[in-house]
Amino acid sequence: MKFFSKSDKETMKIGAKFAKTLNGGEVVLLVGDLGSGKTTFVKGVADAVGVKKVVNSPTFVIMKVYKTEQMLKRVQHDRPVIKNLVHIDAYRGVDLPELENIGAVEYFGRADSVCFVEWGGFLDKIQSLKFKCQKVVFKNISENGREIEFGK
Amino acid sequence: MEVKNSKLKVKKFGLGILSNVVSSQEKLHAKFGGIVPEVAARRHIEMMMPVLDCALDGLDFQKDIDAIAVTGGPGLITSLAVGVETAKTLAMALNKPLINVNHIEAHALAGLIPSLAATCELPAFPVICLVVSGGHTQIILIKKIGSYKIVGETLDDAAGEAFDKVAKILGLGYPGGPVISARAAMAVSLHGQPKQSGLKQDCFAAKAARNDELLRLPRPMIGSTDLNFSFSGLKTAVLYKWKELSVGKKGKALETLKSEFAKEFQDAVIDVLVSKTLRATEKYKAKTVMIGGGVSANKLLRERMAESVEKKFNGAVSFISPNMKYCTDNAAMIGFAASFRFQKEQFIDPLKLKADPNWEL
Repeated sequence: MKFFSKSDKETMKIGAKFAKTLNGGEVVLLVGDLGSGKTTFVKGVADAVGVKKVVNSPTFVIMKVYKTEQMLKRVQHDRPVIKNLVHIDAYRGVDLPELENIGAVEYFGRADSVCFVEWGGFLDKIQSLKFKCQKVVFKNISENGREIEFGK
Repeated sequence: MEVKNSKLKVKKFGLGILSNVVSSQEKLHAKFGGIVPEVAARRHIEMMMPVLDCALDGLDFQKDIDAIAVTGGPGLITSLAVGVETAKTLAMALNKPLINVNHIEAHALAGLIPSLAATCELPAFPVICLVVSGGHTQIILIKKIGSYKIVGETLDDAAGEAFDKVAKILGLGYPGGPVISARAAMAVSLHGQPKQSGLKQDCFAAKAARNDELLRLPRPMIGSTDLNFSFSGLKTAVLYKWKELSVGKKGKALETLKSEFAKEFQDAVIDVLVSKTLRATEKYKAKTVMIGGGVSANKLLRERMAESVEKKFNGAVSFISPNMKYCTDNAAMIGFAASFRFQKEQFIDPLKLKADPNWEL
Protein backbone atom coordinates (compact mmCIF):
# COMPACT_ATOMS: atom_id res chain seq x y z
CA MET A 1 0.00 0.00 0.00
CA LYS A 2 1.26 3.43 -0.91
CA PHE A 3 0.22 6.55 0.95
CA PHE A 4 0.93 10.16 0.31
CA SER A 5 1.25 12.57 3.20
CA LYS A 6 1.21 16.33 3.02
CA SER A 7 1.81 17.06 6.70
CA ASP A 8 2.98 15.66 10.04
CA LYS A 9 -0.66 15.13 10.98
CA GLU A 10 -1.27 13.01 7.91
CA THR A 11 1.91 11.02 8.53
CA MET A 12 0.64 10.28 12.05
CA LYS A 13 -2.71 9.17 10.65
CA ILE A 14 -0.93 6.78 8.30
CA GLY A 15 0.98 5.48 11.33
CA ALA A 16 -2.32 4.94 13.14
CA LYS A 17 -3.63 3.07 10.13
CA PHE A 18 -0.56 0.88 10.15
CA ALA A 19 -1.06 0.24 13.88
CA LYS A 20 -4.31 -1.55 13.07
CA THR A 21 -2.32 -4.25 11.30
CA LEU A 22 -0.27 -5.01 14.42
CA ASN A 23 -0.85 -8.14 16.46
CA GLY A 24 2.26 -8.09 18.64
CA GLY A 25 5.65 -9.55 17.83
CA GLU A 26 6.27 -7.38 14.78
CA VAL A 27 9.66 -5.91 14.00
CA VAL A 28 9.17 -2.97 11.69
CA LEU A 29 12.11 -1.46 9.85
CA LEU A 30 11.68 2.19 8.95
CA VAL A 31 13.67 3.08 5.89
CA GLY A 32 14.11 6.63 4.60
CA ASP A 33 16.29 9.73 4.69
CA LEU A 34 16.70 12.34 7.42
CA GLY A 35 13.45 14.23 7.79
CA SER A 36 11.29 11.79 5.83
CA GLY A 37 8.80 11.21 8.66
CA LYS A 38 9.98 8.06 10.46
CA THR A 39 9.67 9.40 14.02
CA THR A 40 6.39 11.13 13.16
CA PHE A 41 5.03 7.82 11.84
CA VAL A 42 5.94 6.09 15.12
CA LYS A 43 4.19 8.88 17.04
CA GLY A 44 1.04 8.01 15.11
CA VAL A 45 1.44 4.31 15.91
CA ALA A 46 2.06 5.13 19.58
CA ASP A 47 -1.12 7.19 19.82
CA ALA A 48 -3.10 4.37 18.26
CA VAL A 49 -1.79 1.65 20.59
CA GLY A 50 -2.36 3.77 23.67
CA VAL A 51 1.02 5.23 24.58
CA LYS A 52 0.33 8.28 26.71
CA LYS A 53 3.87 9.61 27.03
CA VAL A 54 5.50 11.96 24.54
CA VAL A 55 7.26 9.89 21.90
CA ASN A 56 10.37 11.76 20.75
CA SER A 57 13.53 10.92 18.88
CA PRO A 58 15.51 7.97 20.29
CA THR A 59 18.69 8.95 18.41
CA PHE A 60 20.55 9.78 21.61
CA VAL A 61 19.67 6.80 23.80
CA ILE A 62 19.23 4.40 20.81
CA MET A 63 16.19 2.73 22.36
CA LYS A 64 13.10 3.93 24.17
CA VAL A 65 10.51 1.55 25.56
CA TYR A 66 6.98 2.86 26.06
CA LYS A 67 4.27 1.09 28.03
CA THR A 68 0.92 1.08 26.30
CA GLU A 69 -2.42 1.50 27.96
CA GLN A 70 -4.10 -0.99 25.69
CA MET A 71 -7.72 -0.93 24.87
CA LEU A 72 -9.48 -3.75 26.71
CA LYS A 73 -11.34 -4.60 23.52
CA ARG A 74 -8.30 -6.42 22.28
CA VAL A 75 -8.39 -8.88 25.14
CA GLN A 76 -12.02 -9.65 24.45
CA HIS A 77 -11.20 -10.40 20.87
CA ASP A 78 -8.76 -12.99 22.09
CA ARG A 79 -5.84 -11.24 20.53
CA PRO A 80 -2.52 -10.81 22.23
CA VAL A 81 -2.18 -7.54 24.06
CA ILE A 82 0.60 -5.20 23.01
CA LYS A 83 2.25 -4.00 26.19
CA ASN A 84 5.40 -2.37 24.89
CA LEU A 85 6.13 -0.10 22.00
CA VAL A 86 9.88 -0.28 21.43
CA HIS A 87 11.31 2.64 19.45
CA ILE A 88 14.87 2.10 18.24
CA ASP A 89 17.15 4.34 16.18
CA ALA A 90 20.18 2.92 14.41
CA TYR A 91 21.10 6.29 12.91
CA ARG A 92 24.57 6.35 14.41
CA GLY A 93 25.73 3.22 12.68
CA VAL A 94 24.38 0.81 15.25
CA ASP A 95 24.67 -2.84 14.15
CA LEU A 96 23.12 -6.11 15.28
CA PRO A 97 25.64 -6.94 18.06
CA GLU A 98 25.00 -3.48 19.51
CA LEU A 99 21.27 -4.01 19.43
CA GLU A 100 21.92 -7.22 21.34
CA ASN A 101 24.09 -5.35 23.85
CA ILE A 102 21.52 -2.74 24.69
CA GLY A 103 18.86 -5.40 25.12
CA ALA A 104 16.84 -4.40 22.05
CA VAL A 105 16.92 -7.82 20.45
CA GLU A 106 15.18 -9.29 23.49
CA TYR A 107 12.08 -7.39 22.47
CA PHE A 108 12.17 -8.58 18.87
CA GLY A 109 9.42 -11.06 18.15
CA ARG A 110 7.95 -10.89 21.65
CA ALA A 111 4.18 -11.32 21.46
CA ASP A 112 3.54 -8.47 23.89
CA SER A 113 5.76 -5.98 22.07
CA VAL A 114 6.04 -4.21 18.76
CA CYS A 115 9.42 -2.86 17.67
CA PHE A 116 10.12 -0.01 15.28
CA VAL A 117 13.68 0.38 14.08
CA GLU A 118 14.61 3.65 12.36
CA TRP A 119 17.52 3.27 9.97
CA GLY A 120 16.98 -0.46 10.44
CA GLY A 121 17.17 -1.48 6.77
CA PHE A 122 20.37 -3.43 7.42
CA LEU A 123 18.49 -5.99 9.54
CA ASP A 124 16.61 -7.11 6.47
CA LYS A 125 19.81 -8.40 4.91
CA ILE A 126 20.80 -10.56 7.88
CA GLN A 127 19.73 -14.13 7.14
CA SER A 128 20.26 -15.65 10.59
CA LEU A 129 17.55 -13.62 12.35
CA LYS A 130 14.98 -15.61 14.26
CA PHE A 131 12.29 -13.02 13.71
CA LYS A 132 10.58 -11.67 10.65
CA CYS A 133 10.94 -8.06 9.70
CA GLN A 134 8.64 -5.90 7.69
CA LYS A 135 9.52 -2.65 6.05
CA VAL A 136 7.98 0.76 5.84
CA VAL A 137 9.65 2.91 3.22
CA PHE A 138 9.61 6.73 3.42
CA LYS A 139 10.39 8.99 0.50
CA ASN A 140 10.82 12.74 0.48
CA ILE A 141 8.78 14.05 -2.43
CA SER A 142 8.82 17.74 -1.57
CA GLU A 143 9.36 19.85 1.55
CA ASN A 144 6.06 18.70 3.04
CA GLY A 145 5.18 15.80 0.75
CA ARG A 146 6.10 12.24 1.77
CA GLU A 147 5.42 8.92 0.16
CA ILE A 148 4.99 6.11 2.68
CA GLU A 149 4.75 2.51 1.58
CA PHE A 150 4.15 -0.71 3.52
CA GLY A 151 2.70 -4.18 3.16
CA LYS A 152 4.48 -4.85 -0.11
CA MET B 1 31.22 9.39 39.52
CA GLU B 2 29.74 10.50 36.23
CA VAL B 3 30.10 7.93 33.60
CA LYS B 4 28.50 9.29 30.48
CA ASN B 5 31.92 9.81 29.10
CA SER B 6 34.03 8.16 31.75
CA LYS B 7 34.13 10.90 34.26
CA LEU B 8 34.81 10.59 37.84
CA LYS B 9 34.60 12.89 40.70
CA VAL B 10 35.55 12.99 44.27
CA LYS B 11 34.11 15.75 46.30
CA LYS B 12 33.97 16.50 49.93
CA PHE B 13 30.70 18.06 50.89
CA GLY B 14 30.86 21.75 51.64
CA LEU B 15 34.33 22.12 50.21
CA GLY B 16 33.74 22.44 46.52
CA ILE B 17 35.27 20.51 43.71
CA LEU B 18 38.41 18.59 44.64
CA SER B 19 38.82 16.85 41.37
CA ASN B 20 36.90 16.70 38.13
CA VAL B 21 38.50 14.48 35.54
CA VAL B 22 36.93 14.23 32.11
CA SER B 23 37.96 11.75 29.49
CA SER B 24 36.36 12.89 26.29
CA GLN B 25 35.39 10.52 23.52
CA GLU B 26 34.56 13.27 21.07
CA LYS B 27 37.36 12.51 18.64
CA LEU B 28 36.66 8.82 18.81
CA HIS B 29 33.02 9.33 17.92
CA ALA B 30 33.56 12.06 15.33
CA LYS B 31 34.04 9.58 12.52
CA PHE B 32 30.67 7.99 13.25
CA GLY B 33 28.86 11.32 13.49
CA GLY B 34 27.80 10.57 17.05
CA ILE B 35 28.26 8.29 20.01
CA VAL B 36 28.17 4.60 19.13
CA PRO B 37 27.14 2.56 22.17
CA GLU B 38 29.51 -0.36 21.76
CA VAL B 39 32.49 1.90 21.04
CA ALA B 40 31.54 4.13 23.97
CA ALA B 41 31.20 1.27 26.44
CA ARG B 42 34.51 -0.29 25.50
CA ARG B 43 36.19 3.07 25.82
CA HIS B 44 34.57 3.50 29.24
CA ILE B 45 36.06 0.26 30.43
CA GLU B 46 39.48 1.19 29.09
CA MET B 47 39.43 4.65 30.60
CA MET B 48 37.84 3.84 33.94
CA MET B 49 41.00 2.91 35.81
CA PRO B 50 43.22 5.71 34.45
CA VAL B 51 40.48 8.27 35.19
CA LEU B 52 39.97 6.89 38.70
CA ASP B 53 43.71 6.98 39.35
CA CYS B 54 43.93 10.53 38.14
CA ALA B 55 40.94 11.77 40.13
CA LEU B 56 41.96 10.05 43.35
CA ASP B 57 45.58 11.06 43.13
CA GLY B 58 46.78 12.40 46.47
CA LEU B 59 43.52 11.70 48.25
CA ASP B 60 43.05 9.57 51.31
CA PHE B 61 40.27 7.11 50.51
CA GLN B 62 38.98 6.86 54.04
CA LYS B 63 39.38 10.48 55.05
CA ASP B 64 38.61 12.42 51.88
CA ILE B 65 35.73 10.44 50.48
CA ASP B 66 32.35 10.57 52.16
CA ALA B 67 30.30 8.84 49.52
CA ILE B 68 30.34 7.54 45.96
CA ALA B 69 27.94 9.13 43.50
CA VAL B 70 27.09 7.76 40.08
CA THR B 71 24.82 8.54 37.14
CA GLY B 72 22.07 5.92 37.09
CA GLY B 73 20.39 7.34 33.96
CA PRO B 74 19.14 8.44 31.56
CA GLY B 75 21.66 7.61 28.85
CA LEU B 76 23.14 4.78 26.85
CA ILE B 77 22.66 1.58 28.82
CA THR B 78 26.05 0.14 27.92
CA SER B 79 27.91 3.21 29.14
CA LEU B 80 25.74 3.66 32.23
CA ALA B 81 26.30 0.05 33.22
CA VAL B 82 30.08 0.45 33.24
CA GLY B 83 29.84 3.39 35.63
CA VAL B 84 27.16 1.91 37.83
CA GLU B 85 29.03 -1.37 38.28
CA THR B 86 32.29 0.46 39.04
CA ALA B 87 30.56 2.70 41.58
CA LYS B 88 28.88 -0.28 43.27
CA THR B 89 32.19 -2.04 43.56
CA LEU B 90 33.90 1.03 44.99
CA ALA B 91 31.12 1.63 47.49
CA MET B 92 31.28 -1.95 48.73
CA ALA B 93 35.07 -2.12 48.78
CA LEU B 94 35.55 1.21 50.56
CA ASN B 95 32.44 0.74 52.68
CA LYS B 96 31.05 4.11 51.66
CA PRO B 97 27.42 5.05 51.02
CA LEU B 98 26.30 5.05 47.38
CA ILE B 99 24.22 7.82 45.79
CA ASN B 100 22.24 7.39 42.58
CA VAL B 101 22.03 10.60 40.54
CA ASN B 102 19.76 11.51 37.65
CA HIS B 103 21.81 12.92 34.80
CA ILE B 104 19.21 15.59 33.97
CA GLU B 105 18.93 16.76 37.58
CA ALA B 106 22.70 17.15 37.61
CA HIS B 107 22.62 19.26 34.43
CA ALA B 108 19.79 21.35 35.87
CA LEU B 109 21.72 22.15 39.05
CA ALA B 110 25.12 22.66 37.40
CA GLY B 111 24.70 26.44 37.45
CA LEU B 112 24.80 26.36 41.26
CA ILE B 113 28.20 24.72 41.56
CA PRO B 114 30.28 27.20 43.54
CA SER B 115 33.29 28.54 41.66
CA LEU B 116 35.47 28.74 44.75
CA ALA B 117 35.68 26.52 47.75
CA ALA B 118 32.56 27.65 49.50
CA THR B 119 29.13 26.47 50.37
CA CYS B 120 26.73 26.91 47.53
CA GLU B 121 24.18 29.66 47.55
CA LEU B 122 20.70 28.54 46.70
CA PRO B 123 18.74 30.54 44.13
CA ALA B 124 15.38 32.19 44.76
CA PHE B 125 12.68 29.59 44.09
CA PRO B 126 10.74 28.73 42.06
CA VAL B 127 13.35 28.22 39.36
CA ILE B 128 12.70 27.60 35.68
CA CYS B 129 15.56 25.61 34.22
CA LEU B 130 16.12 24.89 30.54
CA VAL B 131 18.13 21.72 30.08
CA VAL B 132 19.40 21.41 26.51
CA SER B 133 21.71 18.66 25.37
CA GLY B 134 22.16 16.04 22.68
CA GLY B 135 19.39 13.89 24.05
CA HIS B 136 17.18 16.30 25.96
CA THR B 137 15.37 19.58 25.61
CA GLN B 138 13.28 20.14 28.69
CA ILE B 139 11.92 23.02 30.71
CA ILE B 140 11.94 22.02 34.34
CA LEU B 141 10.11 23.76 37.15
CA ILE B 142 12.16 23.50 40.33
CA LYS B 143 10.17 24.37 43.43
CA LYS B 144 13.05 23.40 45.67
CA ILE B 145 16.08 21.13 45.41
CA GLY B 146 14.66 17.65 44.93
CA SER B 147 11.28 18.77 43.58
CA TYR B 148 11.18 18.80 39.80
CA LYS B 149 8.41 18.97 37.27
CA ILE B 150 8.91 18.83 33.53
CA VAL B 151 6.63 21.53 32.14
CA GLY B 152 7.85 21.46 28.55
CA GLU B 153 9.89 19.18 26.35
CA THR B 154 10.71 18.40 22.76
CA LEU B 155 8.09 16.51 20.82
CA ASP B 156 10.67 15.09 18.43
CA ASP B 157 14.40 15.90 18.16
CA ALA B 158 16.44 17.37 21.01
CA ALA B 159 18.15 20.72 20.32
CA GLY B 160 21.63 19.20 20.44
CA GLU B 161 20.55 16.41 18.12
CA ALA B 162 19.22 19.02 15.67
CA PHE B 163 22.66 20.72 15.76
CA ASP B 164 24.35 17.39 15.03
CA LYS B 165 22.00 16.45 12.22
CA VAL B 166 22.07 19.87 10.58
CA ALA B 167 25.89 19.87 10.78
CA LYS B 168 25.76 16.56 8.97
CA ILE B 169 23.41 17.91 6.28
CA LEU B 170 25.75 20.87 5.74
CA GLY B 171 28.80 18.60 5.79
CA LEU B 172 30.37 20.36 8.77
CA GLY B 173 31.31 17.34 10.90
CA TYR B 174 30.71 16.31 14.52
CA PRO B 175 29.93 17.47 17.18
CA GLY B 176 27.43 19.83 15.60
CA GLY B 177 27.14 22.45 18.36
CA PRO B 178 30.65 23.93 18.28
CA VAL B 179 31.03 23.73 14.47
CA ILE B 180 27.72 25.45 13.86
CA SER B 181 28.48 28.24 16.37
CA ALA B 182 31.89 28.77 14.84
CA ARG B 183 30.43 28.90 11.34
CA ALA B 184 27.64 31.21 12.47
CA ALA B 185 30.22 33.61 13.90
CA MET B 186 31.98 33.60 10.50
CA ALA B 187 28.71 34.52 8.81
CA VAL B 188 28.23 37.40 11.22
CA SER B 189 31.66 38.79 10.44
CA LEU B 190 31.09 38.31 6.72
CA HIS B 191 28.07 40.53 6.89
CA GLY B 192 30.15 43.11 8.71
CA GLN B 193 27.67 43.22 11.55
CA PRO B 194 28.54 44.40 15.02
CA LYS B 195 29.49 41.81 17.61
CA GLN B 196 26.59 39.89 19.09
CA SER B 197 27.31 40.95 22.63
CA GLY B 198 26.49 44.56 21.84
CA LEU B 199 23.12 43.78 20.40
CA LYS B 200 19.91 44.07 22.29
CA GLN B 201 17.07 41.62 21.92
CA ASP B 202 14.87 43.92 19.82
CA CYS B 203 17.67 44.26 17.28
CA PHE B 204 17.47 40.59 16.43
CA ALA B 205 14.23 40.99 14.54
CA ALA B 206 15.74 43.81 12.50
CA LYS B 207 18.87 41.80 11.92
CA ALA B 208 16.82 38.83 10.80
CA ALA B 209 14.96 41.05 8.37
CA ARG B 210 18.28 42.08 6.83
CA ASN B 211 19.11 38.45 6.35
CA ASP B 212 18.62 37.11 2.94
CA GLU B 213 14.92 36.27 2.89
CA LEU B 214 15.72 33.13 0.97
CA LEU B 215 17.55 31.73 3.94
CA ARG B 216 14.85 32.41 6.47
CA LEU B 217 14.03 29.29 8.48
CA PRO B 218 10.89 28.66 10.54
CA ARG B 219 10.82 29.11 14.34
CA PRO B 220 8.88 25.92 15.12
CA MET B 221 6.12 26.24 17.72
CA ILE B 222 7.26 29.69 18.78
CA GLY B 223 3.66 30.88 18.68
CA SER B 224 2.10 27.88 20.43
CA THR B 225 0.85 28.54 23.94
CA ASP B 226 2.34 25.38 25.44
CA LEU B 227 5.96 25.02 26.51
CA ASN B 228 6.94 22.24 24.13
CA PHE B 229 9.52 22.28 21.36
CA SER B 230 9.84 20.72 17.93
CA PHE B 231 13.10 20.72 16.01
CA SER B 232 12.44 17.99 13.50
CA GLY B 233 10.68 20.31 11.06
CA LEU B 234 13.53 22.81 11.29
CA LYS B 235 15.96 20.08 10.30
CA THR B 236 13.76 19.22 7.31
CA ALA B 237 13.53 22.89 6.35
CA VAL B 238 17.33 23.14 6.38
CA LEU B 239 17.55 20.00 4.26
CA TYR B 240 15.29 21.38 1.52
CA LYS B 241 16.63 24.94 1.56
CA TRP B 242 20.17 23.58 1.44
CA LYS B 243 19.38 21.29 -1.50
CA GLU B 244 17.79 24.17 -3.34
CA LEU B 245 20.32 26.91 -2.64
CA SER B 246 23.54 24.92 -2.78
CA VAL B 247 22.97 23.70 -6.33
CA GLY B 248 25.83 24.75 -8.57
CA LYS B 249 27.75 26.41 -5.73
CA LYS B 250 31.38 25.49 -5.25
CA GLY B 251 34.45 26.46 -3.28
CA LYS B 252 34.28 29.69 -1.35
CA ALA B 253 30.68 30.46 -2.30
CA LEU B 254 29.59 27.08 -0.95
CA GLU B 255 31.49 27.58 2.30
CA THR B 256 29.96 31.04 2.74
CA LEU B 257 26.51 29.59 2.22
CA LYS B 258 27.23 26.93 4.85
CA SER B 259 28.12 29.64 7.34
CA GLU B 260 24.97 31.58 6.55
CA PHE B 261 22.87 28.47 7.02
CA ALA B 262 24.63 27.76 10.31
CA LYS B 263 23.87 31.27 11.51
CA GLU B 264 20.21 31.23 10.54
CA PHE B 265 19.74 27.75 12.01
CA GLN B 266 21.39 28.72 15.28
CA ASP B 267 19.28 31.88 15.47
CA ALA B 268 16.11 29.86 14.88
CA VAL B 269 16.94 27.37 17.66
CA ILE B 270 17.92 30.09 20.13
CA ASP B 271 14.84 32.20 19.36
CA VAL B 272 12.60 29.27 20.24
CA LEU B 273 14.56 28.21 23.33
CA VAL B 274 14.58 31.75 24.74
CA SER B 275 10.95 32.45 23.94
CA LYS B 276 9.65 29.25 25.57
CA THR B 277 11.83 29.70 28.63
CA LEU B 278 10.52 33.23 29.13
CA ARG B 279 6.96 32.00 28.71
CA ALA B 280 7.53 29.33 31.37
CA THR B 281 9.09 31.90 33.70
CA GLU B 282 6.04 34.11 33.36
CA LYS B 283 3.56 31.26 33.72
CA TYR B 284 5.10 29.85 36.91
CA LYS B 285 6.14 33.23 38.32
CA ALA B 286 9.69 31.99 38.63
CA LYS B 287 12.23 34.12 40.45
CA THR B 288 15.26 32.56 38.78
CA VAL B 289 16.01 31.27 35.30
CA MET B 290 18.75 28.70 34.86
CA ILE B 291 20.17 26.80 31.92
CA GLY B 292 22.19 23.59 31.74
CA GLY B 293 23.33 20.80 29.44
CA GLY B 294 25.80 20.69 26.57
CA VAL B 295 23.96 23.25 24.43
CA SER B 296 24.07 25.76 27.31
CA ALA B 297 27.76 26.14 26.43
CA ASN B 298 26.57 28.00 23.33
CA LYS B 299 27.73 31.58 23.92
CA LEU B 300 24.98 33.19 21.92
CA LEU B 301 22.31 31.27 23.79
CA ARG B 302 23.77 32.40 27.12
CA GLU B 303 23.97 36.01 26.00
CA ARG B 304 20.52 36.18 24.51
CA MET B 305 18.92 34.39 27.44
CA ALA B 306 20.60 36.77 29.90
CA GLU B 307 19.58 39.85 27.90
CA SER B 308 16.02 38.65 27.37
CA VAL B 309 15.44 37.77 31.02
CA GLU B 310 16.81 41.14 32.08
CA LYS B 311 14.74 43.01 29.54
CA LYS B 312 11.47 41.20 30.16
CA PHE B 313 11.56 41.13 33.95
CA ASN B 314 13.54 44.28 34.66
CA GLY B 315 15.84 42.66 37.15
CA ALA B 316 13.05 40.93 39.09
CA VAL B 317 14.23 37.55 37.82
CA SER B 318 17.86 36.54 38.01
CA PHE B 319 19.64 34.39 35.47
CA ILE B 320 22.22 31.71 36.24
CA SER B 321 24.28 29.80 33.70
CA PRO B 322 26.86 27.17 34.56
CA ASN B 323 30.58 27.67 34.29
CA MET B 324 31.54 26.48 30.79
CA LYS B 325 33.29 23.40 32.13
CA TYR B 326 30.09 22.23 33.83
CA CYS B 327 27.88 22.50 30.70
CA THR B 328 28.92 19.37 28.85
CA ASP B 329 28.91 16.07 30.71
CA ASN B 330 31.20 16.12 33.72
CA ALA B 331 31.63 14.46 37.07
CA ALA B 332 31.54 17.58 39.23
CA MET B 333 27.86 18.12 38.50
CA ILE B 334 27.07 14.55 39.52
CA GLY B 335 28.91 14.97 42.80
CA PHE B 336 27.24 18.33 43.32
CA ALA B 337 23.71 16.97 42.78
CA ALA B 338 24.63 14.07 45.05
CA SER B 339 25.71 16.41 47.84
CA PHE B 340 22.07 17.37 48.46
CA ARG B 341 21.13 13.71 48.77
CA PHE B 342 24.11 13.17 51.01
CA GLN B 343 22.80 15.78 53.42
CA LYS B 344 19.49 13.96 53.56
CA GLU B 345 21.22 10.58 53.69
CA GLN B 346 19.39 9.40 50.58
CA PHE B 347 21.59 6.44 49.84
CA ILE B 348 20.98 3.35 47.75
CA ASP B 349 21.90 -0.24 48.48
CA PRO B 350 24.67 -1.21 46.02
CA LEU B 351 22.99 -4.55 45.47
CA LYS B 352 19.79 -2.84 44.37
CA LEU B 353 21.20 -0.18 42.05
CA LYS B 354 20.61 -0.76 38.35
CA ALA B 355 21.28 1.60 35.47
CA ASP B 356 18.05 2.92 33.96
CA PRO B 357 18.49 4.30 30.43
CA ASN B 358 15.01 5.88 30.44
CA TRP B 359 15.02 7.30 34.00
CA GLU B 360 12.64 10.24 34.07
CA LEU B 361 13.14 13.07 36.48
